[in-house]
Amino acid sequence: MRLVILMTQTQVHKQFVLRPLMLVSLALFMLAAGNARAELLIRITEGVDSAIPIAVVPFAESGTMPQGDKISSIIRSDLTMSGEFNPLAPGKMLSLPSSRSDVYFRDWRMLGQRYLLVGELTRKGERLEARYELFDINREARILGETTTAPVSSARSLAHHISDKIYEAITGEPGAFSTKLAYVTVMGQGDNMRYRLQVSDVDGKRAKVRLESDEPILSPAWSPDGKKLAYVSFETSKPVIFVHELATGERQKLADFRGLNSAPAWSPDGKSLLMTLSRDGNAEVYKMELASGDLTRLTDHWAIDTSGAWDHAGRGVFFTSDRSGGPQIYHMERPGSEARRITFGSRYNARPRPGPKGDYVYYVHQRNNDFVIARTNLNTGEESLVTRTGSDESPSLSPNGRLLIYATERDGTSVLTVVSADGGETYSLPAAEGEVRDPAWGPIVR
Amino acid sequence: MTGNERETISTGKAPWKSPVAVSVLLHLLIAIVALAGWSWSEPMQEPEPNSISARLVSPEPEPSPVINEQEQARDREQQKAEAERQQAEAERKQQEEQAREEAERRAQEEARKREEERKRQEAQARERAEQKAREEAARKKAEAEAKERERQRLLEEERRRQEEAKRKAEEERRKAEEEKRRQEEAERQRREEEARKEAERKRLEAERRLREEQLQALADEARQEQEAEQRRQREAAAARAREAQMLSESQKYQSLIRERLTQAWYPPSSATEDMTARLQIALLPTGELASVKLVNSSGNTAFDNSALGAVRALNRYPVPENRDTFERYFRQFTIEFNPQRLR
Amino acid sequence: MKLSMSSKIFAMLLAAGLVAGCSSTGEMTDEENRGSDVEAINQEGGATVYEGGTEQGGISSSSMSEAERQAEQSQQSAQDALRDVTTFYFDFDTSEIKPEARDVLVAHARYLAENPRQQVRLEGHADERGSKEYNLALGERRANAVEQFLIINGASRGQIETVSYGEEKPAVRGSGESVWAQNRRVELIFD
Repeated sequence: MRLVILMTQTQVHKQFVLRPLMLVSLALFMLAAGNARAELLIRITEGVDSAIPIAVVPFAESGTMPQGDKISSIIRSDLTMSGEFNPLAPGKMLSLPSSRSDVYFRDWRMLGQRYLLVGELTRKGERLEARYELFDINREARILGETTTAPVSSARSLAHHISDKIYEAITGEPGAFSTKLAYVTVMGQGDNMRYRLQVSDVDGKRAKVRLESDEPILSPAWSPDGKKLAYVSFETSKPVIFVHELATGERQKLADFRGLNSAPAWSPDGKSLLMTLSRDGNAEVYKMELASGDLTRLTDHWAIDTSGAWDHAGRGVFFTSDRSGGPQIYHMERPGSEARRITFGSRYNARPRPGPKGDYVYYVHQRNNDFVIARTNLNTGEESLVTRTGSDESPSLSPNGRLLIYATERDGTSVLTVVSADGGETYSLPAAEGEVRDPAWGPIVR
Repeated sequence: MTGNERETISTGKAPWKSPVAVSVLLHLLIAIVALAGWSWSEPMQEPEPNSISARLVSPEPEPSPVINEQEQARDREQQKAEAERQQAEAERKQQEEQAREEAERRAQEEARKREEERKRQEAQARERAEQKAREEAARKKAEAEAKERERQRLLEEERRRQEEAKRKAEEERRKAEEEKRRQEEAERQRREEEARKEAERKRLEAERRLREEQLQALADEARQEQEAEQRRQREAAAARAREAQMLSESQKYQSLIRERLTQAWYPPSSATEDMTARLQIALLPTGELASVKLVNSSGNTAFDNSALGAVRALNRYPVPENRDTFERYFRQFTIEFNPQRLR
Repeated sequence: MKLSMSSKIFAMLLAAGLVAGCSSTGEMTDEENRGSDVEAINQEGGATVYEGGTEQGGISSSSMSEAERQAEQSQQSAQDALRDVTTFYFDFDTSEIKPEARDVLVAHARYLAENPRQQVRLEGHADERGSKEYNLALGERRANAVEQFLIINGASRGQIETVSYGEEKPAVRGSGESVWAQNRRVELIFD
């Protein structure tokens, strides 16, 4: 850790140039000049790596509260998962205020906390009303406050909503705590396998099965409006792409060509999908218009071309190709234009997922004998690791690009883990039954 | 007495013989002439406006050269004859006039003489009277003068006597004074002489001492200069040392502050290396934060807030105890937050 | 509106299927069948299993000597023995057929050639590492490689159906090279 010291010009001069008389007069001048002189400048070039301490006080309750996790507990989990906050354990709180009048900022300062959330929940018939306030402890100022209601059955949604507001108020970026996850669970042995496509909250709770099959399901992909899922199902003994409307359960077969029908990816406007088809003889990336079914072939190479994904601007396409001998990430400026290779550092880089700001692309990366998630800075070409666990795959980014969820092996089974997009904190989703794979992070839906 | 007399005056007048009347007439004449002389400013009037030659003096346009020469000759003849006729007439009139004037003149002359005589006699009488008066006055005057002179003489004498006395007294005094002065002078000279000798002695003494002193002074001066120089250097060194100490002290506290802020800053995960937030800090001598102001935003609210949060998190900033150093560097300064990831 | 879109796509698929050729049966919906001896079983979210006919391939009989017949029979059983092997393995990230697999595949090819009504399904797989989508394509490439080999060696395209499961159906669960090696395979499925 190197500290950078900047001396102002005046100080340098003083040390090497002055004579006694001039020194005296200069000193007098300096004292007199006050603000006019060059000021001391201290540069802070790094801070603590750890997350911001925030105290989320258990809400005061009046009325019958729903079963399950407390609202404040859900908020604490959300904030922890984000990797940017370090919520104080309630056991360490000196007091449990529920409104400003009960708050003694000094107490929280002493605990080293930066932010304080207090609130109150009131049962109102079949609704739950939450009044909450967020304070900046050092400034002793309120930075957020709201009263909001939700059905009692949606208490978790209420908690995630508050987490979103807190996140946005402090970081300036939208929170992703009200988003959904889609993933596949696998249970069974031998010939009796059970595959389930599920949708849950971002913390894995309130999981709901959307499709159940004896045959594999893979590659779920969210439509930009969060209402549909595209996925590949082997229910007809071959890979077929379906589009599944979540609210109604209605499904539609989108691609059932000879050979592969895989790797569906929605365009940002939701009007077309990229997909991998091998109807022309080998795996190529295609674009299909949803409304018309029109197909356009985007790649034309005898190598495997798959896993097409629109870039953040929605203009170009990333994909995997092994045209150089092993799978690497490529990018087309426009669909169908010449492909530019993005990854070079390893012999295996596949399944690109671009960050929402156009700064990074994330992918599965082989490092020695491990498969991890890595990312390449699209401006500098610099590659860095995001995960180090070792059997990692299926990266999917949160809508604000801050977090990445992926599947990994743990204790012999496949689980989902959330990691900061820059590879910092990790947060493991609670284990579900069986193996959990192929996560897809849903969009923010307002 | 009179030069030119007007015609109007000369006609219609009968000569009177009484001296009063003549005197009045003459006075009247004088008055009128005077008045006549006063009211006109023209220098010269033509004495005889009848004369043809006078009338021709005013400028007239050139006569046309086309006039017949013969006519001109005839005109000239006629003119000449006319002129001659008029000339004769004028002469005749002139002669009459002259006779008249002569008579008048004689009469006037006589009147005048008579007036003169009278006046002369009057004047003589007057003269005599005056003469008498003058003699009388002169006599009186002489008397008065004599008296006055006498009086003056007496005064003069008195004065002189007094003066004399005074002078004598003065003389006496002066003599006495002089005597005294002489004595004093002698005394003084004697003393002076003594003093001079003394002074001489002293001077020599002083000179000797002076020489000694000068030598001493030179030595002293040299020593003092040396000392002054040393003192200057010491002071300069002390000042530099103070300066350096202040600087190093300030650097020490800068380091401390930097350390504390580094430990108090939670840069948001969205922070990039090109984000810079500048805050102006004002501290109290106790190290407490007096005020903080964001003077340059990084453009990212979360980043700015993290910087503000870090600054506010410190209860007390480590500041030097030396008040000068504090005032110089830490009363008000700037902190810049700009993450440099060294990963 | 949904219905019309669905049927539009269906029509497209149908057209595409017609254009693509009718050698494989994979593009049709469950309702349409190909050939009378092929039946779709268990449509509801399950795997469809196709039953192929068991007609013998035509071997024109001609008189042979006893010695020849015996030689032929032993050769036949040797071939049959070879054909016991129906799984072929691959190295990581390749679809290259290993030398030791060649003879077996040749035997299979011959068998198929001799039994033109025999159908075979080639199922391509990959080990669990890396990207699922890439593995799906890799499995297909492996299956295609075997298919190509069989065709070169006598089988006809119409007998062969290929499908890739990528990493989704490992033969052996677990991690480590020995496990992975067993999962990088193409399986021949007769009947």
